[in-house]
Amino acid sequence: MTNTEDLPEVSGYSRVSVLISAVVGLAVAALALFWAQGFRIGYESLYRVNPSVEGGGIGSDWVFGNTIPALDFLIALIHAADVILGAFILVMVFIHWAAFQRLADQMREPGEDVNEAVAADGGSPARGDEQGGDSA
Amino acid sequence: MSNLDHGKFTRVTTLFHSLLGLDVFLLFFTGYAIMFNDELWWMLTLMGGASGVTAIHRITGIGLVALVIFWITLQVISSTGRSNFSKVLPAKDDVDAFIQDIQFVLGRADERHPSARQFGGYKADEVPLLSYIGKGVVFIFSIELTLLAISGLLIWSKTGLAAMFQTKAAAMAFVTFHGLLGVIMLMGVMFHIFEHGMHPAFYPVETKAFIPRSMVPEHHGDDDEEPDTTGIERLSLSPSWRTVSTIFGAMTVIGIVSVLIGSIFDEGYPVPRELAIGGGPASILLTIGINLGMVVLGVGLVLSMYGNVLRIRWEQQLERDERPAAADGGEPQTDGGQPEADDAESEH
Ligand code: HEM
Ligand code: HEM
Repeated sequence: MTNTEDLPEVSGYSRVSVLISAVVGLAVAALALFWAQGFRIGYESLYRVNPSVEGGGIGSDWVFGNTIPALDFLIALIHAADVILGAFILVMVFIHWAAFQRLADQMREPGEDVNEAVAADGGSPARGDEQGGDSA
Repeated sequence: MSNLDHGKFTRVTTLFHSLLGLDVFLLFFTGYAIMFNDELWWMLTLMGGASGVTAIHRITGIGLVALVIFWITLQVISSTGRSNFSKVLPAKDDVDAFIQDIQFVLGRADERHPSARQFGGYKADEVPLLSYIGKGVVFIFSIELTLLAISGLLIWSKTGLAAMFQTKAAAMAFVTFHGLLGVIMLMGVMFHIFEHGMHPAFYPVETKAFIPRSMVPEHHGDDDEEPDTTGIERLSLSPSWRTVSTIFGAMTVIGIVSVLIGSIFDEGYPVPRELAIGGGPASILLTIGINLGMVVLGVGLVLSMYGNVLRIRWEQQLERDERPAAADGGEPQTDGGQPEADDAESEH
């Protein structure tokens, strides 16, 4: 980068700490892998994913029943958390949606004269890049 | 996830954010292809069936372990990281910001609170490191990712699990637990994508998380020029914003509601005494809804890549120009704008 005049001083992360962290991260991941593999793989046919099987499918061997109440409780708990947080997240979506509408109303309409406004600022690149509908 | 100097990521953070996003998207696609296999059968097939998805899920799972440990270590050993800890803690301002956001929506406040921080809600200097949403995101995502990594490792091998839990059923309950845990993350990320993709001033993507702060010129203008505004009224709205944000907003809501219902449905709420995972009736509406949710994630993935394309262009432009053309007009804190986003489409 040649132009530094306008750029701020930023105290980022030092190279050393990034390097150390990367090494630690990879080492722990390798250990985790080693540990998990220690359970012996090659035994993955445990009725987990079998969507094409008639009447089978995921978890169908629940017929054996769960004998550990704590797990039942955990699952009930996590369901409750899903629902409560889900409702909360929806509220956040609606607040932002509405706030964005108001912010948009404060902006210039697409046709309006933009010249006097200094360009950019993330203000639209005049054309919106149709990303709404399709995924990668 | 906290080193956003004045609302901007450092270079390391931008890279981390992109890698984390990529990895988590892959975990979503594979994990939920398993859990919602009724609805996402095509994804399952596309990724190589049962053995394919579980293999990809495990590989990316190990990737997530590495990323999470990397980040924790970095935050602990670096002074930049340590200095950010206190800025993540919730404060009274965050509650105020939430309340003011509601008032803003109802028309009872003219601006968003500085702690809501996204553009249009603050002026320079008033802005805390993390918005109230940002803090929530950091908390929820960190807790979730840690728990998912731990529970994921525990269910790595079914044999190990069975040994740990005595019965196969109990072992499977733990897998269910892991999947249900991820639902929170799934819904949260959909919101995150909406929040950072559909802000009218940043649409189609907020570059804050992609262009490092070290590359964003500071404002040298005269502050008296516009003392009382955030400057948003000087920007012009993208012509497609209204349509696209409405469609995408609807998709986000439908996606969130559908995965939530799906997670209950596939399981039985309230208290499940008997699990019938994936055995539930397949509903057309639910199938469409969950698939729309996956489209939202897909858009997120594209936006994240697009953010990186913008960064690369930005770098090139900085090298080319003496003074960057897009040195922003009056708002040092806003995102630096997009360097001539000419042929956006052709890049993805
Ligand atoms: C699974 C994927 C993702 C994860 C786990 C993730 C996680 C995070 C976290 C923890 C933060 C910091 C807290 C905050 O400020 O909100 C953040 C910030 C941010 N993310 Fe993401 N993110 C993901 C995907 C995306 C995508 C797809 C986009 C673009 C559309 C995006 C755009 C942003 C932006 C712009 C910020 C900065 C927010 C700010 O400082 O105000 N993220 N992300
Ligand atoms: C964002 C993070 C993650 C999400 C959203 C996620 C989601 C899921 C989901 C939905 C399932 C299917 C559960 C079911 O069938 O009910 C699953 C299974 C699984 N996950 Fe994850 N997961 C994540 C991270 C991880 C990590 C970090 C690991 C490992 C280190 C991991 C390992 C596994 C394993 C081994 C399975 C079982 C697959 C099988 O049936 O063979 N996951 N995950």
